[in-house]
Amino acid sequence: MKRALQHLFPVLLVVLALSSKPALAQDWVHTGTNLGNDRIRIAAADFNSGVVPGARSSAPGSVNPETPALKAVFDATLYSDLSNAGIFDVVSKSMIPAVSPGSPQEINLAQWSAAPSSAAMVAFGALSVAGDKLTVSGWLFDTRNTSSPQVLARQYSDAVSQEAARLTAHKFADEIISTLGGGINGIAETKIYFVSSRGGSKEIWAMDYDGQNQHAVTHLGAISLSPRISPDNSRLAFASLGKEGWSIRMYSLDLGRQVSFPAGTVGGSNLSPAWSGDGLKLAFSSSRSGDPEIWVADVSGSSPHKLTSFRGPDVSPVWNPKTNAQIAWVSGRTGLPQIYTMDQDGANVSRLTDGGYAISPSWSPNGQFLAFSWNRKYGPGDPGGQDIYVMDIASKRWLQLTHEAGSNDFPSWAPDGRHIVFERTVGGHAEIWSMLADGTEQHQLTKSGNNTMPNWSWK
Amino acid sequence: MTAASRERPSEQIDRLERELGRSQERLGPTVGSLVLHGALAGGLVLYGMIGGFFHHNTWGGAASGGAIEVKLVSSALPLPADHPPNENVLATETPSEAPAQPTPKEEKAVDETAIPISGKVEKPKPETTQPKTQQHQQPVEDNRAHYGEQQAASMARSTQAQNATNGPVSIANGDFGSRYPWYVAAINRMVSQNWYRAEVDQHTAKGSKATVYFRINRQGVPSDFKIFTSSGNSTLDRSGLRAAERVDSFGPLPSDSNLQYLDVTYDFTY
Repeated sequence: MKRALQHLFPVLLVVLALSSKPALAQDWVHTGTNLGNDRIRIAAADFNSGVVPGARSSAPGSVNPETPALKAVFDATLYSDLSNAGIFDVVSKSMIPAVSPGSPQEINLAQWSAAPSSAAMVAFGALSVAGDKLTVSGWLFDTRNTSSPQVLARQYSDAVSQEAARLTAHKFADEIISTLGGGINGIAETKIYFVSSRGGSKEIWAMDYDGQNQHAVTHLGAISLSPRISPDNSRLAFASLGKEGWSIRMYSLDLGRQVSFPAGTVGGSNLSPAWSGDGLKLAFSSSRSGDPEIWVADVSGSSPHKLTSFRGPDVSPVWNPKTNAQIAWVSGRTGLPQIYTMDQDGANVSRLTDGGYAISPSWSPNGQFLAFSWNRKYGPGDPGGQDIYVMDIASKRWLQLTHEAGSNDFPSWAPDGRHIVFERTVGGHAEIWSMLADGTEQHQLTKSGNNTMPNWSWK
Repeated sequence: MTAASRERPSEQIDRLERELGRSQERLGPTVGSLVLHGALAGGLVLYGMIGGFFHHNTWGGAASGGAIEVKLVSSALPLPADHPPNENVLATETPSEAPAQPTPKEEKAVDETAIPISGKVEKPKPETTQPKTQQHQQPVEDNRAHYGEQQAASMARSTQAQNATNGPVSIANGDFGSRYPWYVAAINRMVSQNWYRAEVDQHTAKGSKATVYFRINRQGVPSDFKIFTSSGNSTLDRSGLRAAERVDSFGPLPSDSNLQYLDVTYDFTY
């Protein structure tokens, strides 16, 4: 009996230890449909920089003379980022209280929740320059929750420059969008790559998502087309016209120079590269075997193999970025180009568009939609417009996004799945535009030269 | 006297006959050309008619082809719907028309070109100082458009925490909804965006309610989807489950909440 107890003792010890372990913290909420699903009304306060507008600084040197300019850039960028997010109803600057609270102690929430601002959320904070450092403290408060109003508190530190102020505002805006938007990351820090001829030859350019900070990436002096940024933002694949004809080139943004991609220079015309979502493979169209067909190669440029073998051209591949198991592309096997999908090994080909002239597919980040350019009534006597459409792949239902405004082509999804960038040609003049994925809030991003083939970065 | 008038009549007839004959000769090619063109036009019409019976490829044609002439369920885009359904029975769908703008008063035209007469003194207008009497108050006309007035249909984002901390056992939870109403609002938004009412059988009774349970982990990823309370209609139950399953992540749980899991029950009301 004693022996048995001796054996039982360790077991009892374990049972005791287990039962004394604190229960996992968890909670329960109950919600449902029909409880309101409106845009969140958010106010962006002017950040406090320690400078009273209009008053002369009493102690020179205490406030950096650049501060007002940086604050102006920061405030404007934060405001436009929140407006562009697509999920907020941003309170106009003329309706917010004329105060700039710099810390949670200074904010009077009732002031913000009351009319006319009627904000449900308020973003505020302080911006200061000390030495060669820009420090920004930002808070996001829920104005109607007096007991625990804080939703976000962030601090950023960067160099003293307008670019840094803009980047900091982008970062803070992305945090707000991600927190309130249900975990979908904001796009304020993303870039758009495009082809511009403003420097003479067609080179690859880059800009911020809102059209700021436009600069050339390549300086080849040749014609370069269809830039595609890799998922990790390190490499840029594009098609370029050289002495071997059209070939796929690879440009390393980390190294600032071209790197080799042997699979893309083997005879024929090699066009329209597309990265797989894991960044390991590149699909492109190549006419090395006669007709333009879809080929897939490793990122290093090795083991190229052909996926399609159809009469008629097959171009513009794009991967399903969520599963990496499917490719959508444009095929001209029935005459006019149409959008098709297939598995990544070339099986299960299915046609998505039922007619017209459909080109330039772009797959949405959640894998559910294809955006493409479609002229549904193509041909003489059928003056249809080239417009951007979104199709739900599972049901083949579609939605027209642009209407009666120029010729629209080359849509590209933003990583948040809420925005689309595209090219619009009006009167022979091509410019880059962006819009929400339901076709609203269209903004022109480029203003000078001919700018085509935009591609939104993955993050 | 011209040369023609000096000719004899017989010569004139001769010449006329010759010219007539020549014009008949010229008629031949004209008729041929007309026939040829007519044949071409007829051929084109015939081709169009016969071709219409045999053509098999309408891609790109003017006819709206295929079976996908449908509108997209645009709520599937991760954007908020602009017009949430209005449950208020007092709200009217057709607001009264806004009253017309009052016509602006015409200002007295001032002759700008008139040369001012120097030394002319404007006679001050006599102020009317009438005794103030109690005037009859006219009822003020309400000049507003009458809409169905209601509060904005937004979720209550603030409720007071109800912590029962005065017992021997202190359970410091049950206040997630009051501390983080914005997170609950995000759950609400994400799931309702992914709920396709088209998946529900049309004969489902209005007001049927299915409650779906799921558990959100610290990283915001939902799992353990279950029907908590069935609506009695399998299509509604299944559409609710699918809606929750479509969400990849709700975003990490608030870091200061120290929660391992958040259990959610979600009502789908048809």
